[in-house]
Amino acid sequence: MLKKIAYITLFALTFTSCSDTLDDINKNPNATETPLAPYLLTGTLKQGADLYWGSTNNFDSSLLFVQHWAKIQYTEPDRYDVSNTSFTSLWNTGYATLITDLNTIINFPDAQANSNYKGIALTLRSWTFLLLTDAYGNIPYKEAGKSITPVYDTQKEVYTGLLEDLKQAQSLLNTANGAVTGDLVYKGDIAKWKRFVNSLRLRIALRISDREPALAKQAAIDATTDAAGVLSSNNDTFKFTYISSPQQNPASAWFETRDDYRISKTMVDKLKEFSDPRLPVYAQLPSDASVGTYVGGGNGLSNSDANNQGFAKTSKPGTYFLTSTSPAVIYSYSETLFNLAEAAARGYIGGDAEQLYKNAITASFNQFGITDATVISNYLNQATVKYDAANYAQSIGTQKWIAFFGQGLDAFTEWRRLDYPVLKAGPATVLDGQIPSRFFYPGTEQSLNGNSYQAAISVQGKDLLTTKLWFDVK
Amino acid sequence: MKKKLNSCLWLCILLISIGIKAQETKPLIQSKLEGTVIDAATKEPIIGASINIKGTTHGVVTDFDGKFFFQTGQKLPYTLIVTFLGYKRAEVVVNENPVTISLTEEQNQLSEVVVTALGISKEKKSLGYSTQALKNKDLAETKETNFLNSLSGKLAGVRITNSQGDMGSSRIIIRGETSIAGNNQPLFVVDGVPVDNSQLSSVAGGPASRDFKNAISDLNPNDIETLTVLKGPNAAALYGSRAAHGVVLITTKSGKSQKGLGITLNSGITISQVATLPSFQNSYGQGSNGRFSFVDGKGGGVNDGVDESWGPRMDGRLIPQFFSKGEAVPFVAHPNNVKDFFNTGVTYDNSISVARSDEKSDFRLGVNNQKQLGTVPNSEVNKTNFTINSNYQISKNIKVGVTANYITTNAPALPGGPSGNRAAGVMLQFLWFGRQVDINELQNNRDVNWNNSYYSNPYWNAYYNTTSQQRNRIIGDVHLDAKLAEGLNFKFRTGVDYYNDRRKYEIKYGTNGTPFGSYAEDAYTVNEQNTEGIFTYTKKLNDDFSLDALAGFNIRNHSDANNYQKAPRLAVPDLYTLTNSRDPLTSSNSLSRLRVYSAYASAQLGYKNYAYLNLTARNDWSSTLPSNNRSYFYPSVNGSLILSEALNLKSNTLDFLKIRGGWSEVGNDADPYQLATVYNFQTAFDGNPIQTSSQRKLNENLKPETTRCTEVGLEATFWKNRLHFDVAYYNTNSFDQILEIKTTTSSGYNSQLINAGKINNSGIEIQLDGSPIQTENFKWSIGANYSKNTSKVEILDYAKQIQNYTIGTSGGVDILASVGQAYGALYGTAYLRDASGNIVVGANGLPKADPTKRVLGHYTPDYLAGVTNTLTYKNLELSFLVDASVGGEIFSGTNRTGTYTGVLASTLPGRGAENGGLNYYLNGTTKTLVNGTAPAGAAVYDDGMIFNGVYENGAPNTTVLSAQEYYKASYNISEAYIYSSTFVKMREIKLAYNFSKSFARRLGLEGASITAVGRNLFFIYKDAPNIDPETAFNTGNAQGLESLSLPTTRNFSLNVNLKF
Repeated sequence: MLKKIAYITLFALTFTSCSDTLDDINKNPNATETPLAPYLLTGTLKQGADLYWGSTNNFDSSLLFVQHWAKIQYTEPDRYDVSNTSFTSLWNTGYATLITDLNTIINFPDAQANSNYKGIALTLRSWTFLLLTDAYGNIPYKEAGKSITPVYDTQKEVYTGLLEDLKQAQSLLNTANGAVTGDLVYKGDIAKWKRFVNSLRLRIALRISDREPALAKQAAIDATTDAAGVLSSNNDTFKFTYISSPQQNPASAWFETRDDYRISKTMVDKLKEFSDPRLPVYAQLPSDASVGTYVGGGNGLSNSDANNQGFAKTSKPGTYFLTSTSPAVIYSYSETLFNLAEAAARGYIGGDAEQLYKNAITASFNQFGITDATVISNYLNQATVKYDAANYAQSIGTQKWIAFFGQGLDAFTEWRRLDYPVLKAGPATVLDGQIPSRFFYPGTEQSLNGNSYQAAISVQGKDLLTTKLWFDVK
Repeated sequence: MKKKLNSCLWLCILLISIGIKAQETKPLIQSKLEGTVIDAATKEPIIGASINIKGTTHGVVTDFDGKFFFQTGQKLPYTLIVTFLGYKRAEVVVNENPVTISLTEEQNQLSEVVVTALGISKEKKSLGYSTQALKNKDLAETKETNFLNSLSGKLAGVRITNSQGDMGSSRIIIRGETSIAGNNQPLFVVDGVPVDNSQLSSVAGGPASRDFKNAISDLNPNDIETLTVLKGPNAAALYGSRAAHGVVLITTKSGKSQKGLGITLNSGITISQVATLPSFQNSYGQGSNGRFSFVDGKGGGVNDGVDESWGPRMDGRLIPQFFSKGEAVPFVAHPNNVKDFFNTGVTYDNSISVARSDEKSDFRLGVNNQKQLGTVPNSEVNKTNFTINSNYQISKNIKVGVTANYITTNAPALPGGPSGNRAAGVMLQFLWFGRQVDINELQNNRDVNWNNSYYSNPYWNAYYNTTSQQRNRIIGDVHLDAKLAEGLNFKFRTGVDYYNDRRKYEIKYGTNGTPFGSYAEDAYTVNEQNTEGIFTYTKKLNDDFSLDALAGFNIRNHSDANNYQKAPRLAVPDLYTLTNSRDPLTSSNSLSRLRVYSAYASAQLGYKNYAYLNLTARNDWSSTLPSNNRSYFYPSVNGSLILSEALNLKSNTLDFLKIRGGWSEVGNDADPYQLATVYNFQTAFDGNPIQTSSQRKLNENLKPETTRCTEVGLEATFWKNRLHFDVAYYNTNSFDQILEIKTTTSSGYNSQLINAGKINNSGIEIQLDGSPIQTENFKWSIGANYSKNTSKVEILDYAKQIQNYTIGTSGGVDILASVGQAYGALYGTAYLRDASGNIVVGANGLPKADPTKRVLGHYTPDYLAGVTNTLTYKNLELSFLVDASVGGEIFSGTNRTGTYTGVLASTLPGRGAENGGLNYYLNGTTKTLVNGTAPAGAAVYDDGMIFNGVYENGAPNTTVLSAQEYYKASYNISEAYIYSSTFVKMREIKLAYNFSKSFARRLGLEGASITAVGRNLFFIYKDAPNIDPETAFNTGNAQGLESLSLPTTRNFSLNVNLKF
């Protein structure tokens, strides 16, 4: 009998199959432990574009704050009635997806990624940090990705650190350093990347110009005298071009199923004031044909007031922005020229600020498909458009604001820095007539990184929408 | 009942010995004795009673008719010793042949037998921990479609949370949450086979989220004989890593106690009504600022895209509405427009079982069909269970058996879930609602809706945007029992729980928000296999000492696989296939496997039937841990001392007094694949693959978790069993917990896996059973239980950098395990207050939010209690169960939304002069109170309100708001919608009539009973308005959150049981 039982037991043990070792069983069949540089690069470009152009950071926040777009229903964000759970995606995707994936490339041994990959990764990481500090202020930078509770660095430390990072990125990038694949923006054209790096340095130089003019000047000179140059045509514009669903432009995807946004009345009125030929590009005619003209939606209205403007009687943003293949523009040639104009106006670099200003507007017209020289010169010659050397901030600020249409985060930052055009908070806004000056830190910072968070706000000021950031002097 | 239970439990053991003992009998003289052993009270035969001739080793056991037969060398008269567990030992002098021997049931705790870990039956008095059991009638007669619900209020220390509506999941927690991040629900073991109780969902909050039932609800309560709860590591230590949260042992019915062929028919019907609908206001209809007129329902008219009820007074004024084609019609209230949407649910439950046994074999075959038509229109679940349980004695020392339970669940449409899903959410549309809406107009034409900005017609959603579920499951085992030598037995079992679960999500073309519709398929395969072998050895060492030992092994294999595919936009309407898609499919699949090898042993040493020492030890080797930490050992020790016997304390007052205590340690492994950090692939972009961080930093050095528990208890009975009292105290420390802690993403990861957390749970449980009145025909008995658990999160990481672990989030409130706090803290935004606690308002008169979030409550209750009163008069039994959960808080998204939208009755105060609203006029845009008379020509409004607070300078707030502004002001302030979740419920009233045997026999039946039950009848007390505070999103650890939940139901059922 015992023998029989022993047989049965043996049979049962074979039946449950011990052919796999316990280690084999615990090998994850669902994902890989081996990342590859080109795939990570494609991923960060796509996800970075989604982050910059998508709903949360763009058309549901910054585009409303700068009054490019307006909400016609669910107007809470347009009235700044938001909480510290509203601005989490820039932080979370910025850090845990973009910066983490880019750090993976940067930390690869040379056999896994040549120095061009690393230069590109460092550039994109600098762009991500720039978005983060522009929006939140003090942020974890030096300890980001290195500590479980990283300390926050001041905005000044972040900007100056990024200038150094970009200098290093520039030195890593060299056409001789090997090919790059997976680059959906510049298709592996390293010369363009080098121009993009210098343009980012120029952008940062101006960010700190009101606080650290000497450092700003040096950075502007470094950026513009580097042999690689800055973005030099609309072909150099740093943009991510979408394809078809489900890889379509995020704004296009949104409008496919929802109808929440209109072009802002502020923008429409400004374009009308300047007889700006970009109006038909930026806006659609209302669906109710009897209206017959472009009508912007008011910002900061109560839900019912917004609703009562009529869904059919107001203009949606232009189809240029709402087709599935619409690009996510991240750094335009036009912006480069505006930045050069301002650097010249500030005396950081040589050059004719007025001419650069005109070139910048022209580049913007070209970007939106307006190339008729007469139309452009007629526009430029208007008194309201003409460059005002006495108040370059007004001229550049206003035109940059128009040219940035759709690029909410940068439009928001540059509007805070240049203080033009003058915007007025909508009637139902909740900040006692003020417009936000920053994003809230994600509420989770209080629970997950409390000590660092408390230290940061004790330096920067209360974690409020209206707290002014370091770069934003006025 | 107890007798049948005992006979059933012991028969398997006794059966083995029948043949063996018969063989040992070697008579010297051919003298015969025939006899029958019967129960003195019921006159029913007793199966398996032992009969020994005094002074000899000669013994036999009664058969299935209670009969026995001797061939002996002894001459009459001689003395027989007759024993049977649960009965008083009888010594009978026999002087005639045949003989009938009556045994009297032993009415005390000394003889009670309970099922313990690994299905081993033990005398309850020998155990050093508490167990509690429910019987078939406690489970089956309630007619709950999720049988876990029938446990509510009946067991001390067991908390059941019914998540949603009438077709949802239920969560069971024993003695509090001991794991910070992992599953906290107990292990379920059915007839020795561990079974799965997952609530599977890969698309939580996804396209059409539903509250899918947890898997254990597949079991049919009619098949359950007993359900025993092992309340913690001390009782469950032999189950090892799966024991930390307790074990629910289920024994299904078998044919063993059925003499000859028996057929049982059971038929029940249950009616369900929605019981916890919010209380709505019926004064103001759809719109905003008092204005409304319908043109197209999406902003074309006046506020006709607004899905709120801040519109005109519903006083019959003439306004165009959604059904009136532009014509102005009376604007009037439809107070029951939400209630009328819901149907009366009906559940039909029919079962038949056939059972039989003889000397060599027994079997039971059961079929159960249940059809539930839910309260949400079109919702339906059909479930059929087939069970077989059979044993066969193949030789005198070996018995084999098989059990199989095949369950097929087919739900053509499950009710729309709790999430804010526009295409399917049910309560979403009724809390963002126009109170004037005539639901009949919507029912009559599904193509029109009262609002076209956000929603499709609610009937459209219910009938067209369906989620179906089909689950096919087999639970079963084959087992063998062998007697190897005197006292030495071997049990072998291999069991499986295997199921496929397929869900299909359809969203119809033309649905608001999903204009092209969508279609998704979500399929799961779960496989749990366990193979075990156990040697048991019992020996009476000498007159005083006895030994009961066990050693065994177990091999566990578990796998689950998921495949999800979705056509995000359909190409043509009404064709639900994955190829009918405009876009590339979105898809994902996953496979997860684990294996655990275990070896274990236990020993019980008994002294003089009043002192017992129990030792257990187990070692597991788990595939989920790194090879150097894979093996983990854990011991337990417990003991019991029957003071009433040891110290001879028995008196007329005290029948029984026992103290017990023990200490145990159990380990726990990780989930699969937690060791190596991985990168995920995303949908490739234009031929370029995309890889990205999984955002989870895993840990290659994981160690097993450890839980240590100390438990002491006291049990006593008084006044000839009229009062029974049991109290238990336990203290559990769980440490080295495997935690996927959320980290700030600036650390590079969304979460990191650490091995650190420590949580303490301690508590007390009291059970009290008594019979205040007991006469021949009438009995009043009371069963009461009370349990209090206190938890404290002590450490999350050893470096103490992490103060909070986020368990879940909804509507801006996080559920946290926060260091120093009880488990399950509700953490969110509070009002900004000044030093004296006044709410601070801005210059606009609106309350300000404190920028610092705070702990606003805890979801864990302070204590639970349940009281059952049973009145029995002859064959009629009436019982009431009241249960209470006291303390704890819940964040209510229903109240938050309904306040914002003005649909709730609680938004009436201040709306209009009749509700106390202040008169004001507009001075520019400033609302100015009318003092005396308003300026000539100014319109006067009567819905002025002032938020009770102070300005930042400390002056009292005087800024007038409209009621609409007032009630919207706190939408983003979580504190405003935190409520106490305390409730006292009339859980169950039951009236049962058992027809007397003689009456039944006249109808040709063996037995008959009829039962009427009302469940969840009403709240005796609750704090939280408009919701059932006993509600949740799912069975996970993120409890204490509610949003737009389906109302729970009040159920009435009638059940007839016939035995042939």
